[in-house]
Amino acid sequence: MALSDTEVQKQIHHMMAFIEQEAKEKADEIDAKAEEEFNIEKSRLVQQEKLKILGFYEKKEKQIELQRKIQHSNMLNQSRLAILKERENLIKAIMEDTRVKLGAATKDQEKYKGLLQGLITQGLFQLLEKTVIVRCRQADLKLIKEVIGDAVKDYKNASKRDIVVNVDIKEFLGSEISGGVELLTPSGNIKISNTLESRLESLYRQMLPEIRTTLFGANEGRRFTD
Amino acid sequence: MASKSEGIQQLLQAEKKASELVNDAKKRKTRRLKQAKEEAQSEIEKFKVQREQEFQAKVKESSGSKDDFAIKIKDQTHQKINDQNRLAAANKNKVIDRVLSLLYDIKPELHENYRIN
Repeated sequence: MALSDTEVQKQIHHMMAFIEQEAKEKADEIDAKAEEEFNIEKSRLVQQEKLKILGFYEKKEKQIELQRKIQHSNMLNQSRLAILKERENLIKAIMEDTRVKLGAATKDQEKYKGLLQGLITQGLFQLLEKTVIVRCRQADLKLIKEVIGDAVKDYKNASKRDIVVNVDIKEFLGSEISGGVELLTPSGNIKISNTLESRLESLYRQMLPEIRTTLFGANEGRRFTD
Repeated sequence: MASKSEGIQQLLQAEKKASELVNDAKKRKTRRLKQAKEEAQSEIEKFKVQREQEFQAKVKESSGSKDDFAIKIKDQTHQKINDQNRLAAANKNKVIDRVLSLLYDIKPELHENYRIN
């Protein structure tokens, strides 16, 4: 016995509702999944790029910091160099002032005589030659001739060597020299400059540490003084 | 009874509608995933801009500090040079006298290794 029309319709309607229900559930499932994947994907992309950006800027900022430090260090260095340069200039100026005063030494004849004799003797001790020529300023010629004998005597006594010393009467030291002598071997190959100017220069070079301390005070940063 | 084929038609139509529902959902999903890329991109851009601003602020600060430091160093240098000049002027004569006294004090000596033979 077949179902009645109404029953058939009822069944059809049930089936239709079922089909519709199934589809809705499937669609909802797809929507939920879509949302979940959306969040994950968006999150992932953002995170990935953020990390890259952060790394990039971190590097850049490190570079800036490094540059800043280098610039600071350079500025400090420039400062130190400028101060030291000034120091050097000050010392040179004082040496110049000293040089200007050298002429006064020659005014006291007796004192100057003793000085000349000492300079000659010292030159002879340094040369240790058999023949030596002594050169002086033309103005000092007289004094030189007075002291040369004693200088030679001192040399011979101390070194137990013989020597012949001649005074150069053909060539003289320039008038810009304040005083003192030059000593040469006859060939002119070896020359000792014992002028007041040379002595001043050599003294200044040797005394620089003492001069610096006297002028500017002891250096607290210095660890070794020998 | 014509309702037999009618019923089948109804069922076929329901299937068709169901299939459309599901397909629409699938299309929505595809669109949503595309949106993920777009929204991510815009968020990333925003972040980039903000980070760049932070960076520029730091650059400006660093450059300002450099200028401050330069001025400070310049003043300190001038100060130290002035102090140095003062000291030198005060002690100058002491040095000149000491050097001259040594210069005129000549003590001729043979070299310490000199042998008399």
